[in-house]
Amino acid sequence: MHSCHTRREWLAKTAAAVSGGYRASASKLLAAKAPATSVAVARCKDYGPELLPTLGRMFDQIGGLGRLVKGKTVAIKINLTGAPTYRVGYLRLEDTHYTHPRVIAATVHLMSQAGARRIRLLESPWSTADPVEEYMLQANWEPRDILSAGANVEFENTNYLGKAKKYSRLVVPYGGLMFPAFDLNHSYEDCDVFVSIAKMKEHATAGVTLSMKNCFGITPATIYGTGAGIDEPSILPKGGRTTVHAGNRQPSKSAPPEIDSKSPRQDTYRVPRTIVDLVSARPIHLAIVDGIKTMTGGEGPWIREKLTGVNPGILVAGTNCVNTDAVAMGLMGFDPMADRGTPPFERCDSTLRLAEDVGLGTRDLKRIEVIGTPIKDAMFDFAAIRRERRAAAIARI
Amino acid sequence: MTAEWTPMRWPAAWKSLSSFDLVRGTAVNCLILDKGGDLAAVAARAAEAGFEVIDPGSQPPGIKTVKGLWPGIRLSRSGSNDVTAGPTGEPWVDSNGWRVRLAQALNPSVNIWVDAMPQNARLSPEAYVIAIADSAAPGGRWIISLDDKLAAGLLDHEPQAVETWRRLNAAARFFGSRKGWADYVPEAVLGVVSDFATLQSEEVLNLVARSNQQFRIILKTAAGNSAFEGLRALIYPDVEPPSPATRERILVFVRQGGLLIAGPTWGDAPGSTAASADHPRYALRTLGKGTLAIAKENLNDPYLLANDAVMLMSHRYELLRLWNSGAVSTYYSAAPSQDRGLVQIIFFARSGASSAAVRIVGPFRKAHLLTIDRNDPSAVPFELQKGAIEVHLPAVSQYAAIELAI
Repeated sequence: MHSCHTRREWLAKTAAAVSGGYRASASKLLAAKAPATSVAVARCKDYGPELLPTLGRMFDQIGGLGRLVKGKTVAIKINLTGAPTYRVGYLRLEDTHYTHPRVIAATVHLMSQAGARRIRLLESPWSTADPVEEYMLQANWEPRDILSAGANVEFENTNYLGKAKKYSRLVVPYGGLMFPAFDLNHSYEDCDVFVSIAKMKEHATAGVTLSMKNCFGITPATIYGTGAGIDEPSILPKGGRTTVHAGNRQPSKSAPPEIDSKSPRQDTYRVPRTIVDLVSARPIHLAIVDGIKTMTGGEGPWIREKLTGVNPGILVAGTNCVNTDAVAMGLMGFDPMADRGTPPFERCDSTLRLAEDVGLGTRDLKRIEVIGTPIKDAMFDFAAIRRERRAAAIARI
Repeated sequence: MTAEWTPMRWPAAWKSLSSFDLVRGTAVNCLILDKGGDLAAVAARAAEAGFEVIDPGSQPPGIKTVKGLWPGIRLSRSGSNDVTAGPTGEPWVDSNGWRVRLAQALNPSVNIWVDAMPQNARLSPEAYVIAIADSAAPGGRWIISLDDKLAAGLLDHEPQAVETWRRLNAAARFFGSRKGWADYVPEAVLGVVSDFATLQSEEVLNLVARSNQQFRIILKTAAGNSAFEGLRALIYPDVEPPSPATRERILVFVRQGGLLIAGPTWGDAPGSTAASADHPRYALRTLGKGTLAIAKENLNDPYLLANDAVMLMSHRYELLRLWNSGAVSTYYSAAPSQDRGLVQIIFFARSGASSAAVRIVGPFRKAHLLTIDRNDPSAVPFELQKGAIEVHLPAVSQYAAIELAI
């Protein structure tokens, strides 16, 4: 059931599809054969006592955690996007746009019980090299609750070099859509299992932000950020990832540059492709989407749309990130087969389609087995809310 | 001479006796003007009306005047309205609050006035409210100094100028009527121990204040054991080592669980290498229940020092935690009986803040809001947390005060 390939497997399978006109037909071939795995869906109304057994049941439904993590070092990318001092109204960050700490703690606990040797919680917090724990404290979280949820649990800020002496270069197996490889914090290489715990949200640039988009944040701002060094990575991270968003400059010269510096400079083109490159270079073994409480209107409080805290009461988990995100999109009322021009991809390319095209996984719900609560029974209609919100905005004009 | 005085520098453009009518009945009750010469009649009329009249350049008894900067978000020197970024990319804010507090510490029995002249040809009402609140929140007074266009506009009864004047006076009156707050004592988690004889040590105060840590100014000469009460950490920014007695008191503080951040000239660092000794800029040593963080190089970057202090101490212990506030200055104080608290927040953005929230550590279970527009305390939503209260502010302009009770 574990279908996200290792980088070595990817290299072997896709080496022929790297260059020239052969790439298009190879992509179609890869898309047709893109893996389809089971995805678990569950209703969970809040972050109370029902959370832990629900998550445990879901992990069992997709093959069990023991098979995945026993004796392994697990790296978990959580989603703490934006500054911790910035909320949607008075709502807590974890109830709108941050992965909820109890989802993180429950996952850590279950992985520890399943025999994980070491669990490392990773995030690249906004514009800082401060410890992730300090970032959480500013969000009014208690990081000790997470650290004590399992054995050998630790945090690392991956927005800079961190505890290593050098960055790890992770290669995109098929050559890359935007970047051939990335220089990342060592934590993304020094792990046996990589997990993405995302929040279920719309996204201004990428349409949706789910397990794949969460990995946009694995890029260190010291190399890919506004204040990145020109020749070498800066010591400290500064600003957001404008290098990738806008393409107004290349990463630090020490890291691989873009494949084609003349490619479109639009973020709606660049971000989805970069995400696909990232999750190919750093494959996701377990994708978890926290849709218990979240927000509509965008990915964070800085988005200039009508933002609303909502309580869909949904959890999604799968071993294939594309399959998992496709199911999550279905639960949001969106069609995962949608392309550019269709909600939620009105103005951007579909990360899911691009990922499917390189063979990461299918987005076709007809090919994905949903275990647990059927999509129609758990759906929270972000799409309808989006339509109403945008119609109201047009009416105001 | 007490903090009851609301001083104002007489505008140069106000030559006629009738211009005195512009200040009559306002919050202003102390005029700084040349008693002789052209303004003699104004001075006489003011004195007759009960105003205190002070010659420019003179230092009245009971008052200490400190030179300040025009407070607010610093705009670009290019003359455009571009905001100048601070080292973190956050807008750089000039504030005189720390100057007031330092002057109070150095001159405990006098009142502090801040002399900061307007920098722009025409300032907004919000800019004046900030100037008033920035000095008054920590207990000082800004010497009201009008920009030329405002002064001229008031003479002409120009509506915009009249509105600015009204709001400026409302702010001055607000603080003038809060005499009970003068007894409140600053709450603090971090102490700065120094003789404050150098610009470096003063700048440490400025930047600690900018980090919104609640701090206590501790003069070396007054660094008795009680001076450290309730603190989590001390910064000793001076190059000159402390006297043996002060040093021993600081080490007692550390042994009892405190943190000392000092430069390499501090001298011998007792204790043993800390388990978490891996810090790029500090050698960390455990002493008793506490920690010594001795900088590997001289503490010549106050910005770095202030931020290192926050991290070495940890956000865990911060007394105030803010959301959606934008650039602010904060002052947290409590009644000596500790049954009432006061958190004052100055919002430097011209638009103020909406949906701002503040978490306040303390025993308080009731909160009321005061703003300059709404003089009487009003109910404000809050959420009780373990050892803290989180207050949800409505849309506020440049200043909010939260009165707390147990």
